[in-house]
Amino acid sequence: MIKFSNVSLIYPQSTKTILEDLSCEIEEGEMVLVMGHTGSGKSSLLRLINGLVPHHTGGILAGDITVDGISTRAVKPGALAHLVGIVGQNPVNGFVTDIVEEELAFGMEALNFPADVMRKRVEEVLDLLSLNAIRDRSISTLSGGEQQRVAIAAALVMHPKVLVLDEPTSALDPIAAEEVLSVLHRLVHDLSVTVIIAEHRLERVIQFVDRIILIEGDGETSIGSADEILQRADLVPPIIRLARALNLSEIGLSVREVRRLTTDLRENVVAHPEQHNSLNKNVIEVDSLALAYNKKEALKKVSTQVQAGEIVALMGRNGAGKSSLLETIVGVSGPDSGSVLVNGVDPATLRGRDRRTAIGYVPQEPSDLLYLQSVKQECESADKENEIALGATFEFLNRLVPNISENTHPHDLSEGQRLALVLSIVLSSNPKVLVLDEPTRGLDYQAKALFSLALKEFAQKFNSPVLLATHDVELVAELADRVIFLAEGEIVADGRTLEVLLSSPAFAPQVAKVMSPQPWLTVDDVISALDVK
Amino acid sequence: MKRPLHPLTLWIWALLTAIGVVSLDSTRVALIFMGVAVLLVKVRADGSPWNATFSWSLRIAIFIITIRAIVGVLIGVPIPGTELFRIPILELPSWMPGIRIGGAVTAERLSSSLHEGIIIAAMIVLFGAASALTSPHKLLRVLPFFIYEVGITLVIAASVFPQLVQSLKRIRKAQRLRGIEKIGLRTLALPLLEEALSRSLQLAESMDSRGYGVSRKRSRYRPSPWSKRDSVVAIISIVASGFMVAQ
Amino acid sequence: MKSKNVFTFTLGSSIAVVLVSAVSLLGFLWPFFVSSSSSSPQWIFLAATPIALLLFFIKVSNGDLDAKSVALLALLSALIAALRPLGTGAVGIEPMWFILILSARVFGPAFGFLLGALSMVLSAFITGGIGPWLAYQSFAAAWIGLGVAIIPRSLRGRKEILALIIYGIFAAQFFGIAMDLQFWPWYLGADSQLSYIPGGQFSENLQRFFTYHFLSALAWDIPRAIFTSILIAIAGKPVLGALRRAYTRARFLTPIEFKESIRS
Repeated sequence: MIKFSNVSLIYPQSTKTILEDLSCEIEEGEMVLVMGHTGSGKSSLLRLINGLVPHHTGGILAGDITVDGISTRAVKPGALAHLVGIVGQNPVNGFVTDIVEEELAFGMEALNFPADVMRKRVEEVLDLLSLNAIRDRSISTLSGGEQQRVAIAAALVMHPKVLVLDEPTSALDPIAAEEVLSVLHRLVHDLSVTVIIAEHRLERVIQFVDRIILIEGDGETSIGSADEILQRADLVPPIIRLARALNLSEIGLSVREVRRLTTDLRENVVAHPEQHNSLNKNVIEVDSLALAYNKKEALKKVSTQVQAGEIVALMGRNGAGKSSLLETIVGVSGPDSGSVLVNGVDPATLRGRDRRTAIGYVPQEPSDLLYLQSVKQECESADKENEIALGATFEFLNRLVPNISENTHPHDLSEGQRLALVLSIVLSSNPKVLVLDEPTRGLDYQAKALFSLALKEFAQKFNSPVLLATHDVELVAELADRVIFLAEGEIVADGRTLEVLLSSPAFAPQVAKVMSPQPWLTVDDVISALDVK
Repeated sequence: MKRPLHPLTLWIWALLTAIGVVSLDSTRVALIFMGVAVLLVKVRADGSPWNATFSWSLRIAIFIITIRAIVGVLIGVPIPGTELFRIPILELPSWMPGIRIGGAVTAERLSSSLHEGIIIAAMIVLFGAASALTSPHKLLRVLPFFIYEVGITLVIAASVFPQLVQSLKRIRKAQRLRGIEKIGLRTLALPLLEEALSRSLQLAESMDSRGYGVSRKRSRYRPSPWSKRDSVVAIISIVASGFMVAQ
Repeated sequence: MKSKNVFTFTLGSSIAVVLVSAVSLLGFLWPFFVSSSSSSPQWIFLAATPIALLLFFIKVSNGDLDAKSVALLALLSALIAALRPLGTGAVGIEPMWFILILSARVFGPAFGFLLGALSMVLSAFITGGIGPWLAYQSFAAAWIGLGVAIIPRSLRGRKEILALIIYGIFAAQFFGIAMDLQFWPWYLGADSQLSYIPGGQFSENLQRFFTYHFLSALAWDIPRAIFTSILIAIAGKPVLGALRRAYTRARFLTPIEFKESIRS
C-alpha cells in the first residue's frame, strides 16, 4: 500500500539528516508504529506519506514514496486526500468549521463530491465512530476524546486507504485513549485500513501494532516486527523493561503474554507493604470545597489534605474536576463555599511575589509563561525577579537537561526542554508548594524519567509537597506517594498510590496488571521485591 | 418551532428596509423598524454565540445618536424656535472663521440632530439584527463559489475568535500564578501571538491534506433551501421598501 | 522548485487593486468634486465602494489564496478584530494598527492589503457595526497595509523600528482623514456649521472639512498616532521577531528538491 524506496530527507537550512535511505513496504491492513525520541523526525516521516513533506514544508527528498501506486513526487498533498487521511497532534487546531457534521463534510466538499454521496458517507462515519449523538454540536464544546474521534471521522469520511495519526492519545485520559485505539483496531481488522501511528506512550499502543519503524535520530531507521525492535530499542514501555529486568527468555507485548511468562512470580502473594504513617504537618488543607460554573457543579464538597514532602497525583477523566480543584488550590478561582488554606494562608489573597514564593505553578501549556526572546533572557529575568545569583536558574536548567544553547528562542525548544525551562523558572522562586497541570504531554520515556527525578528531589530536599494532575498512569506509578481520584466533582478514592491504582482496572499501570495480585506497580517495585540482580 | 430561514433572507430584508428607511427619512418609521429588529432578534435568537453581537449593534447605535446630538448642539447651525437652554459661546482662534461653538439650544435644533442620528442608528440596528441571526458559517454555505476563498478565511477567523479569548484567559491565569500581576503587552501579547501563529500553520497543514483548493468547483453538503416563507419575506420587504422610497 | 509564497499580487490582482482603489478613492473624495447639489452622488458612491471591495474579494478568491495564506490571514484578522473593540470607549487606544502594520511589514504589502480589508469586515461582523462605512474602513485599512511597501525591505534593527514608528504616525493620521472624509458628508448632519454643502464651493467645503478634521483629529487621530508609535517602539522588536519566525516556520519559498540520492 505504501512503499518507501531509498528515501532520504533533509530540510533546507539544516545540516541534520532526518531520514537516510529508508526502504520499506507497508501492506494493506497493517498497523505500523513509528517510534523515536522527541524531535527525532517521527512527524516528518508521517507527513512524507501524503506529501506534506516536502510540498508543504520544503525539503530535499531523495528516493520515492508511493501510496497505492501514486508517487508523492508527482502530486500535491490535496490530491492524495481521498487516499491518505491524516490526524494531527492537536486535532482542535486542524478543524476548519465549527459544527461536527460540517467538519466531516469539509474535505468532501473541497473535492466536489455529489451531495447524496456526502450524506451517505457522513451517516456511515457517524455510526462507525458513535458520533451520532453529537452530530450538530459545536466542536469547541466537545471533550478531548470526542474531538479526537471527530478528527478521525473527518479523515475516514474520505474513505482513505491509509490513516496516519500523530500522537492521537497524548491529550486523552486512559479510558478515552482506549476508546480511540479500539476504533483504530476495528478499522484495521474490519475495513483493512492501513494505519500508521506515532505515539510516545508505547504502553497504550504496543499490543495493537504489527510492525515498528524506529527512528534513531541520526537518519538511521530500522523496521521490524514489534518483538524485534523492542528487543533492542532504548525507549521501551514498562512491560518490556520488566521482561528485561527479569531476564525472561522472550518479551511479550500484551499483559496477557507477559502474565503467561511470569506465572511463577505470582505464586506466593506478598502482603501489601506496611504503610508508615509519618505524621507530617498538613501544608494544603481543602475543606468542603464547592465550585460551580454556569450552574454546573464542578466540585462538590471536596475535602482533603496534602502533607509536607508528599507527592500527590490528581487523576480522573477529562472534566472530572481536576483543573477546578487545582485552580482553587493555587488561588485563581475562589470557591463558592468551603475553604482552601496553603500553609495557613488563603491562596486567593496572595499577590505578586508572595504568590510566587508560596505556590509554584507549571501550567498545562508551559509556553504560557514564556515571553522573552531567548532561554538566557528568561533565566536571567527569573534570577532578577527572585533576587538570586545571576545564572542560578540557567545552572539548574542545565542540570535538568544539559546542552541547551542559551541563545535558543524558547519556542524553538523541544517539548521536554521547554517544560524543563519552565520548571527551572518556577522553582527559582523557591516555592513552598509545587503544582503542575498535565506536565508530561509529548515527553518520551527519557525526558519523563528526568522530570520525575527533578520532582522527587524537590519534594525531598525542601520537604515540600508536589501536587500534579495527570492522565499518565505510568508516571503516577513511578512518582506519586498518594493518588486522589476525582469523578464528577467528587473524590471517589484517596489513598496510597498502590491501593488506588490497583483497585481501578482502567487506571492500573502495566506492571501492576501483569503482576496482579502482587502489590507491585513499577519495574523497580518488582526488582526490589524479588531481589533480582 | 423556529424553522430556519434561508441565510440570505434576513440580509435582503435588512438591506431593503434600510434603503426604505433612509429614503423615507422619518423618525417615527425608523424607530418602528428598530423596534421590529429588536423584537425579531428576541423571537428568533437560537442561542448561538452570534446572537450576542446584537447588543454591540445597539450600543453603537446609542453612541451614534448621542454623538450626533452633541455635535448638533455644539456646532449645529442655529434653528430658531423654543429655547431649551443656553450654553456659553466658545471663542475660537481667528483662523477658524465662521464657526460658533455653543449658544442657544432650541427644541427644533435638538430634534433635528436626533432625527439624523436615529436614521443612521436604524441602519445599524437592522444590519445588526441580520448578522446576529445568521452566523457566518450559515452565510458561507450559500456564498457563491467564486468568493469562497475570502469567505472561508472570514469564517475561520470568526471561529478562532473564541479560541483566542480562551487562550488569553489561560495565559493570563498562568502568569498571575507566576506573580506577574500587571497586564503587560509583552507578557500577554507575545505568548498569544506565538500560539495563534503556530496554530494557523497547523490549520494550513490540515487544510492542505484534506484537499483544500484541489478542485476548482466545490459541492455543498446540505444546501440551504429557499422556501416559500423566504419568498414571502422577500416580497413583503420589496413592497414595503418600494412603498417607502416612492413616498 | 519552491514551496508557495505567502499571498502576493499577480498581475491581474495588481490591476484589480489599482481599479478598485481608484473607485473607492473617488468614494472618499467626491464631496470636493461633485457640483450637483442633490443627494444622489452620495448614494452612487455609497454603493460603488462596497461593490469595488466585493469585486476585489472575488478576484483574489480564484486560486490566489493557498491554505497557508488563508490560515495566517484568518488568525491575524481575528487577532486584529479582537483588539479593535478595545478602542471604542478609550480614545485612540487601537492596538490593531500596530499588528496590521507589523504583519504587513513581515508578510508583504499584498498580504497587508488583504489583511486590512478582511479584518475590518470581520470586526464589523463581530461588533455588529455593519453599515455604509464598512467598505470605506476596509479600503483605508487595506491601503495602510499596502503602504508599508514604501519602507525598504532590507531595513533591519533600529532603523526599521524607527521607519515603522514614522509610518505608524502617518498611518494613524491617514486613517483619521479617511474616516472623517467619509463621515463628513452625512454623519455630521446637513445643517451644522462644519457640514458638507452639496454643490458648494471647493474652497468653502475644503475649509469646512479641515476644521472638522482638526477637531476630530484632536480627539482621535493624535492619541491614535501616539499610542501606535509607542506600541511599535516598545513591542515592535519582539512582535516582528515572532512574525518573522512564523514566516520561517511556515516555510514560504523554501526549496523543494527531488533528487535521486541525497549524497551529491
